[in-house]
Amino acid sequence: MAVKRQLCMVMDLNKCIGCHTCTSACKLQWTNRNGREYMYWNNVETMPGTGYPRNYAQMGGGFDAEGALKLGITPSAEDYGIPWDYNYEEALMTGTDPWLRPNVKPTWGANWDEDQGEGDYPNSYYFYLPRICNHCTNPACLAACSRNAIYKRQEDGIVLIDQERCRGYRYCVTACPYKKVYFNEEISKSEKCIFCYPRIEKGLANACARQCAGRIRWVGYRDDEEGPIHTLVDRWKVALPLHAEWGTEPNVFYVPPLAPPKYDENSVPTNEERIPQGYLESLFGDGVAVALKTLAAERQKKADGGDSELMDTLIGYRHADMFKLS
Amino acid sequence: MQHLPSTLAFLVAFIAPWAAPAETVVEANVLRLEAGDIVAAAKIPEGVYLRSVNDPDDIIWERLPEYRVRMVPAPAVHRSVELRVNYDTPDQDLYVTFAHTSERFYVRLRWRDDTADRQTGRDRFRDGAAVQFSLGDDTTSYLMGTGPDQPVNIWYWSADGHQIQNLAAGGYGSLTRLPIQTVSGDGLYTDNPGDPNEWTVVMSRPLAVRDEYEVALNRAVVPIAFALWQGSEAQRDGLKSVSEGWVLVEPGAIP
Repeated sequence: MAVKRQLCMVMDLNKCIGCHTCTSACKLQWTNRNGREYMYWNNVETMPGTGYPRNYAQMGGGFDAEGALKLGITPSAEDYGIPWDYNYEEALMTGTDPWLRPNVKPTWGANWDEDQGEGDYPNSYYFYLPRICNHCTNPACLAACSRNAIYKRQEDGIVLIDQERCRGYRYCVTACPYKKVYFNEEISKSEKCIFCYPRIEKGLANACARQCAGRIRWVGYRDDEEGPIHTLVDRWKVALPLHAEWGTEPNVFYVPPLAPPKYDENSVPTNEERIPQGYLESLFGDGVAVALKTLAAERQKKADGGDSELMDTLIGYRHADMFKLS
Repeated sequence: MQHLPSTLAFLVAFIAPWAAPAETVVEANVLRLEAGDIVAAAKIPEGVYLRSVNDPDDIIWERLPEYRVRMVPAPAVHRSVELRVNYDTPDQDLYVTFAHTSERFYVRLRWRDDTADRQTGRDRFRDGAAVQFSLGDDTTSYLMGTGPDQPVNIWYWSADGHQIQNLAAGGYGSLTRLPIQTVSGDGLYTDNPGDPNEWTVVMSRPLAVRDEYEVALNRAVVPIAFALWQGSEAQRDGLKSVSEGWVLVEPGAIP
């Protein structure tokens, strides 16, 4: 879907420390009320893992090789995790309940499998994968809506649900292969990440990006050749879309994680990758090998005291350079 | 005298089928309306009132003529529907009564539904029913109208107990809530021991028109069509069963 300009985000998975500050920022800004309590427009999942909602990557949706919309599975409440709260007032203030306890028995939730990871010590590994709506160029949610209630803004490519048009049919929830559209049971309408457009319109970066403690996020227009997105995605080709094979052309890109090699039984480093390249390719596609090679080379260059535009960009010295919103 | 108890038992057994709630959906002798058939809305006599404005179970309904309409799966017109539609769903009869007083126009619907689906959840869908009126004649498409120039007015009831929605459409995907909500209604789910369970829904509106997209009821004939949604089948939007064309109803409300 051609738009005049496209806002994009790049996230460097080498820098994500899994602190969930992005998630908290988003939740406080948008989803801690009015039927959105269970939603995480931004979430951070531990990879390899089941993701959020649980096993979303196996739920289908997206497009087939011919570009036709595919059927998917609609996640249940349990797949998202039923939000719980604690009886702070009774347990800590009035003392009417001797126990501090959740009001719902917690059985599953976003990032329930945090730090589970993969592999055996000392060669175990995991990395964090923060996810927002990809504000796709070819959004499956938009294609699935029989009412044209979903639209992509011409000026910045942000994908939004017109709350006046939405009648809660939930085709979009199922069609989004990333499961980043959520059904609000209180109002019987679907809702999703709005790329913080009210902030963007005031020149402010998204709450998730601005609050990021690890400074892993860059926001800008794809066509801004001086901006960070073009630098990372197009010039250095180190930022890749998640599951491009689903056909939606995501506009969020990830710098794949480098990892130390595996150790042998004598604790000597081997030449074998700790995070299998095949696994990273199953997420980020064929560009992984080149990206990792470039990252390693530029990192070494910087370590050796040389100059690296790529490393300087990825370090993210100044927010002003990380967020180019005009 | 010793025979009296057994005689009474016999009488009770004999009378029971009539004494039990007579109305169930299994009524093969109800006249079936085909597309283009003309029927008159029954007049509820002056001074006769329903127990509540839209009482689905009022005794007055048993005194008014009821018709049935064949309901079939709606043709898919969007990929999202096409991916899910089941054309093998058995056809079903919808029982309808048209009535009016000097103030209101009523449509009563009754149909078999084994499950009462009242909840809307992330992966749960509610039962629904709709009555559609052509604002023009029966050349307007009975499937959501024919573009903005030949719109339809739709009354939509859902099993979650929310207000009846007064809607308009002019073609697929154009369904829009009208600024003025004048339609009221009520639904009743009956668990019939030994007989199919059923929904009974009454929707009504004052005769006067308050929006350009509300159907005028002071015409000689109003084309009317129907739709049903089965929540347990995840039906919503175009995933529904519909009547095959317009029934022409004389609303009888000409002042």
